[in-house]
Amino acid sequence: MSWNNDDKSTYNLFIDKYKNIVFLFFILFLFLSLQLFYLQVIRGAFYRNVSEHQRLNTTHERASRGIIYDSTGKIIVGNESNYVALFYPFEQQYLPSEDTIEQLNKILKRDIKPSIDKGWRYGRVVKIADNLTLDEVFRIQEKKLFLPGITVVKEPKRTYFNSIENAPITGYVGEVRADELETLETDGYKAGDFIGRGGIEQSYDKYLRGIDGGLDLEVNAKGQHQKAFSYRAPQIGNSVYLTIDDDLQKVAYDALTKTTTGKGAAVVIDVRNGAVKALVSCPSYDTNKVFTGEYRKYLKDKKLPLFNRAIQALYPPGSTFKIITFIAAMEHLHLNPNHTEECKGKFELGDRVFACSSKAGHGRINLIRAMTVSCNIYFYQLGLDLGVRVLEEYAKLFHLGEPTGIDIPSEKKGFVPTPEWKKAKMKMIWLKGDTVIFAIGQGALWVTPLQMATTMAAVANRGIYYKPYLVEKVVDAENNNTLYTHSPETKEAINVSSNTWEQLNKALTNVVEEGTAVRTKLKDIKIAAKTGTAQNPHGEDHAWVVAYAPADNPEIALAVIVENGGSGGVISVPVAREIFKKYFNINEPGTDFTIPAEAAQETVEPQPADQVTDEGIDNVQD
Amino acid sequence: MFKTKTVFPRIIENIDWLFWVSLIFLVSIGCLAIYSASLNYDNPMKFIITQFAALTIGMVGIIFLASFNYQYYKHFNSLIYAFSCFLLISVLVFGTTVRATKGWFNFGFFSFQPVEITKIMLILVLSAFLDNHWKEIQKLSVLCKALCITGGHLFLIMLQPDFSSTLSYFPVTLILLYITGAKLRHLLSIILYGSLAMGIPLLVTFFKLQPELLQSSKVISFFVNATTDFKSAVLILGSISLIVFLIRWFLIKLRIHVAIIYPIIFLSIITAGCFSSVVVDKSLKEYQRKRLIVFLKPQIDSRGAGYNIIQSKIAIGSGRIIGKGFFKGTQTQLGFLPEQRTDFIFSVIGEEGGYLFSQLTILFYFFFVWRALLIAQHARDRYGSLVATGIATMFAFYGIINIGMVMGLMPVTGLPLLLLSYGGSSMLSSMIAVGILMSIHLRRFNEY
Repeated sequence: MSWNNDDKSTYNLFIDKYKNIVFLFFILFLFLSLQLFYLQVIRGAFYRNVSEHQRLNTTHERASRGIIYDSTGKIIVGNESNYVALFYPFEQQYLPSEDTIEQLNKILKRDIKPSIDKGWRYGRVVKIADNLTLDEVFRIQEKKLFLPGITVVKEPKRTYFNSIENAPITGYVGEVRADELETLETDGYKAGDFIGRGGIEQSYDKYLRGIDGGLDLEVNAKGQHQKAFSYRAPQIGNSVYLTIDDDLQKVAYDALTKTTTGKGAAVVIDVRNGAVKALVSCPSYDTNKVFTGEYRKYLKDKKLPLFNRAIQALYPPGSTFKIITFIAAMEHLHLNPNHTEECKGKFELGDRVFACSSKAGHGRINLIRAMTVSCNIYFYQLGLDLGVRVLEEYAKLFHLGEPTGIDIPSEKKGFVPTPEWKKAKMKMIWLKGDTVIFAIGQGALWVTPLQMATTMAAVANRGIYYKPYLVEKVVDAENNNTLYTHSPETKEAINVSSNTWEQLNKALTNVVEEGTAVRTKLKDIKIAAKTGTAQNPHGEDHAWVVAYAPADNPEIALAVIVENGGSGGVISVPVAREIFKKYFNINEPGTDFTIPAEAAQETVEPQPADQVTDEGIDNVQD
Repeated sequence: MFKTKTVFPRIIENIDWLFWVSLIFLVSIGCLAIYSASLNYDNPMKFIITQFAALTIGMVGIIFLASFNYQYYKHFNSLIYAFSCFLLISVLVFGTTVRATKGWFNFGFFSFQPVEITKIMLILVLSAFLDNHWKEIQKLSVLCKALCITGGHLFLIMLQPDFSSTLSYFPVTLILLYITGAKLRHLLSIILYGSLAMGIPLLVTFFKLQPELLQSSKVISFFVNATTDFKSAVLILGSISLIVFLIRWFLIKLRIHVAIIYPIIFLSIITAGCFSSVVVDKSLKEYQRKRLIVFLKPQIDSRGAGYNIIQSKIAIGSGRIIGKGFFKGTQTQLGFLPEQRTDFIFSVIGEEGGYLFSQLTILFYFFFVWRALLIAQHARDRYGSLVATGIATMFAFYGIINIGMVMGLMPVTGLPLLLLSYGGSSMLSSMIAVGILMSIHLRRFNEY
């Protein structure tokens, strides 16, 4: 039909090749269609997301975190304004130009070298300079024309008051780290956000966090803003009201710094509900300076200022544990408080000799007197009579060896030893000697100052054990809605006879009136207390005092420890006295921080050599 | 019977509807996309008016060329070739330089790119030559003559230098040679030579952009060095020769006789390819190399040459199935998409019209090429068939290279999408091509 001059065969040859060409084109166009299908249908959602990301430039306005108040309504954590210089990236430029940086360095007299971190995504704002002074802000605004892309914005900055004293309670805030971001992204955290680190800032982070505001801007390829979408004002986080008294914190901290070593902790608890009135650890750190050069010093400091001794340090309770032995003896052995033992200054058990606090011996004394003078011999005998199982049972009745459940993180739970533990851990059988020193709070028994405070609160409460807590309520920033209110929580009560409580109260009051804690004594108020001088294999003894007051109608209980302080009756008791004075508003002089040449000497509570464990305060397993 | 009828009823009667529907669809959606891509400029109508003007002139051109018997072109063959070469030479002398390419005549109110016309002239000239010599096409001398015709143009265009415009010459020449009946091994030799000459400089650029790869592999760094070091080049060529002769020796052992001439020819092609690559290497500009490379790995230069490909893929992909709506594409309207009206016009359709419209565009583009090929099948003589095949191939490869490029399948070459992209010269030349096709189509019956 075609090619009139040619014969059919040559035309057919042509057509054969022609068909191949049509086929080739068909395949090529099919291939294009497949790629189109892949891009638009299969990967469409991905690319739509990418295009939205590069179109929308969200400018965040950081919300202030909520304010933290103490029980008197005083602000202990608030916010200040901080000015920062930001760079908004635009087309094919994600850092300010060399010229801009040079100009900026000239204005600020700083040496800024901006860089992009790994997580940087197109369109993300880059922080160029932090902590600008108002003067610097104005100078930048003046030279704005020479600084393309640079904007100064106000950001809230966390500020802590009485920051050193309150550091163990408040914790601090820090930027979310890149490695945390993966897990936190689902909770709405983004790079550059602040998150609480330690203390209330961490455990109440979800309340304290505000809701960031911002503005979605549509930008073109040159980075120019085209139009703005709805502006969302930032919402300040909720206010948290604490149970602590800021002034009491300061008094407790100051008192601790005046002690021999200046290392230690004090916890004050309202016995009626478990509210923590004060919780200090000494020495402490300044939460306002965590992100400055100071932090390096804190890390290097041998006194461990970052270590929250009140809830994280483990100490043997020493003689303060005699309270529990006392109860066990009254309950389990039905011991008559008038039952007497002879104290000759030493106690022989097999081939070992255990000494008493008084070398000369206390003579023949009853239980109340033994408690008052903290006689070891009497309690060694009680330990032998009770046996390890009963001691363990009563220690656990007071919830030792388990966390108190206070609402700040990283609490240690302590340890109550058992024969099984000793066998598994030390490959040795439990000896009577172990039981004997268990009765006076030595050996592998480890407690935190907070646990001793709650123990004392339970004693003051005659067995009702409140869970300690720090946050009374959370209220939204406008003070309209209460989002959380603490209702006192109890743990299993210590169920012993009222006679036992009576006798114990009597004994503990005697400790203050005429015993080892005589230096606590205040004229207007009756205090019940027990001191302790805990032997420590690594150095000087730890000085303990646990107390509650008023003795007849207790309001607060406390525990004070001075690490390596020496004798409890000498070193810790003045701290407790200062706290009581402040709490009950008593203006009575005579708190003596000096060490008398020979005062109510509680000498070393000795341990047999094989009982000395290598476990220090910070490496106990829990 | 037909003779009694005038031209117009004859056109109406024999019109190929699918061809025209495809053409109108492509031009219309092209105009729509051009308008959309001009919205963020002060005068959005400017570009669409220019496009319409070119279209109108083109329509007149179609009518004029359709009524002109294409068979006359054959008689003015040498004249056309001489004129096309004249155009290409005079643009080198009088032309203006746009983006480092001296390829435009500037007439004040409009500018014109001669290569757009010469590519069609070449199809006419080459088809005429092949029509005259189809019987001897298997002879090497005739093949070489045909290649020289193309080569002359390529040489002149490379002087501008306009690397991308030469791209369509290769498939057109190869397809025309193939359909005329050239030996397959001759064509394969040409392809081998061409890919060596072009490929070596590109591979070297590719590796040089990844210094860590060069350091880690001694083999690669040796080969890259060989492109500048004569001794190692000789060493490589020598070892290839050795391998080739060893293979021949083995084949002879297996009683398969291969004439000595074949390995020699094979090796000389390789040698010639390698040495031509040095020439190509010198003529390629740095930006052209980068463009050709980044399509393999856009991340190599994501803010420079790779930016275009990345943004184009985002534009197309983000259109999803039904698109963002015409005039509403964020990639287009906010200027993220580069060269929107010209090279990346398909991305505009992809973003704003979605899979629906872009697949339809590809479909109609294929229909258009297919119907053009049907014209070749039904042409009244070999010359007509060859010209129609050449034109169809030209359209096909512009489409494939351009659409492939915007979807990241091919390097960024700077070839427009014929019939859709903004540009007076290319629109006019497309219309001229359509006019010639019509001329062939209308004269398909022997009776006229």
